[in-house]
Amino acid sequence: MATIDGSNDSTESEGGPLARWTKSVIEDQEKRDRLYRALFIVAAGFFLVTTLFPFYWLLVLALTPTSQILTGDWSLPIIGVEFPHPQGFNVYAFVEMFEQVPFHLFMFNSFVLAISTTVIVLAVATLAGYVFGRLEFPGRGVLMLVVLMISYFPPAAFLVPLFDAFLGNAVVIPFLGIELFESPRLVNTPASMVLPFSALFLPLAIFILTTFYAQIPDGLEDAARVEGTTRLGALVRVIMPLSAPGLATAAVLTFITVYNEYFFSSIMALENSPENWSPLLGGILSYQTQYTTEFNLMAAASIVGVLPIVIIVIVAQERIVSGLTAGGLKE
Amino acid sequence: MANLTLEHVTKRYEDVTAVDDMNLDIDDGEFICLVGPSGCGKSTTMETIAGLTKPTEGTITIGDRDVTSLPPKDRGVAMVFQNIALFPHMDVYENISFGLRLRDYDQEEIDRRVEHATDVVQLEGMLDRMPEEMSGGQRQRVAIARAIVREPDVFLMDEPLANLDAKLRVHMRTELQRLHKELDTTIIYVTHDQAEAMTMSDRIAVIDGGELQQIDPPLVCYNEPANLFVAGFIGSPSMNLLRGKLTANGVETDDFSLDIDVDGVPGASAGDDVTVGIRPEDVYPTDTQGAISTPSDPIEVTTDVLEPMGDQIFVYLTFDETSSQTMTGDATGSDQLLMSVDPDRDIAEDEQMEVVFDRTKVHLFDNASGDALVHGVEDLTSSGFETRVPESHSGEGDE
Repeated sequence: MATIDGSNDSTESEGGPLARWTKSVIEDQEKRDRLYRALFIVAAGFFLVTTLFPFYWLLVLALTPTSQILTGDWSLPIIGVEFPHPQGFNVYAFVEMFEQVPFHLFMFNSFVLAISTTVIVLAVATLAGYVFGRLEFPGRGVLMLVVLMISYFPPAAFLVPLFDAFLGNAVVIPFLGIELFESPRLVNTPASMVLPFSALFLPLAIFILTTFYAQIPDGLEDAARVEGTTRLGALVRVIMPLSAPGLATAAVLTFITVYNEYFFSSIMALENSPENWSPLLGGILSYQTQYTTEFNLMAAASIVGVLPIVIIVIVAQERIVSGLTAGGLKE
Repeated sequence: MANLTLEHVTKRYEDVTAVDDMNLDIDDGEFICLVGPSGCGKSTTMETIAGLTKPTEGTITIGDRDVTSLPPKDRGVAMVFQNIALFPHMDVYENISFGLRLRDYDQEEIDRRVEHATDVVQLEGMLDRMPEEMSGGQRQRVAIARAIVREPDVFLMDEPLANLDAKLRVHMRTELQRLHKELDTTIIYVTHDQAEAMTMSDRIAVIDGGELQQIDPPLVCYNEPANLFVAGFIGSPSMNLLRGKLTANGVETDDFSLDIDVDGVPGASAGDDVTVGIRPEDVYPTDTQGAISTPSDPIEVTTDVLEPMGDQIFVYLTFDETSSQTMTGDATGSDQLLMSVDPDRDIAEDEQMEVVFDRTKVHLFDNASGDALVHGVEDLTSSGFETRVPESHSGEGDE
């Protein structure tokens, strides 16, 4: 910094190249536009590279045979600089991954878990959001705070007691030893994952929907009710369609997080097998055995696993954006 | 179509009573305006009729059905809202047919009714427009059409014209009157604009502080206001209200006296504090007093501010012998007098003149209760008086 400042000082006093350039940028509109464009390209380029490079690397790993990954020469031809690039073109990895592990079943599990969690979260959060956003009752603020507080806890805090309960052990009050109830044995079933996921994602969804529902003018709900709906009907027919962007946001966030979830499901599914409702990530990890790790298959599986999310995000984003611009909640 | 009855309807919130013991009996096909200042409880009354809020006490009957605890959808009412409240995600057709589709009418019937409703409000050819593409007036028509298609027993309109510009408002006013004639349905119309209430309704229900002040045809409210509030609220500009005292000879105010036989004023005696009410158009300069047969004694005044309106001139008058003690800014008493005169009249500011009141149009109000004592004091100087004593049914709650 010191040197730059120093050189800057000296050039400025002498009208050096930096000072002259700065001055010309300030005065010349065209030069300024060019600078902004250059800065934009640099910033956007940096962002794109850091975001997309992992995917490129995955693709490189998937196309490179396992033996080459560990022993191969990563230097680029001619230049000689080491840079990840495909060593060969082994598309067969994308077939082999399904032959070695029933990866489609793991994906199916993840889909089922994500969809059922999303449905539960949206259904409950919609009702809760309506209550918090549109009804006045004493203790509303406190209740909302309590709901939000759940999301402040790290999920791991709930893991041990939940695991204990879901194993089928009786739930006992600590120190007193009083038995409250005996949970059914839920491990290795979707319930053991969907229940905690729903509980963990509800606060955020409730918060999002509360703010959206609160913005819908009372007159619209009143109009719907006079026209012939119940409160619930007004919620479904008027308030929810008008809050579509909020619903989409809550749904997408929940779906993606559950689809990518591993922490709870790796523990609630006692083994990494599709029958135990192990999710996508469990599937990817099952290419790793005690003696071998099939990096290329893991990479291929990662790419296949991520595709649905990419599609959903692209579709949902269009939806969200169109929902926002079509808006017009003006009365 | 049905009549509507409110019996002892009261709505209390935690700390305020929005509607206090409201009794209304509205006939089939009547156009009733609920009118009053902001926060007087007229909208809450409307909401209890619509079923959007439940009254704390009292019963509401539509036709022969007690609807007090029915949800809005089962009451047979349709409502037009102040903020229009069209569903922004539905086009005009979907908006209008919303209620019918909910009730599972068959498509043919829906189309027939929508067509008829759009015909009535002149919205043909706009069925596929979205609300955001329409002007304020068009949206208001859609909202009215949405109410019409349901063929409700009672129409509720909550300041439907409040958000429209002045010109459109006057136009829609006549449209609504035409609509009422065409449909012949009971209409309850809430407004804070007394001019709207005067021009449109069969009867006006004046509400203040959650209580019904008077329910009568517009001209009765205008000519025989039940109490000080109605006198001040109905009519624009409002009635002159001048504080005074009943004496053995009549009414004495600080500025003038009126010769009245006190015995002819029912429910009042000498010594009572009263307010004299006189409308601006019933104050005449002495040179035009030939137009009336029962002028009061002349009162000396000085013109203050002139407001030429085109069709008439409003003249603010101050009394000549204004004593300083009356200069308290009291809401019901003022030492200013407003007079309306012919627009051709040559009149200047700070001009000394004499005015007379039309004695048939002088109102007396009891200051303690605010209730009207007598409308017109023309016969009260002689022994054989025959005055219009306000009927006691006119809505005061404290009798």
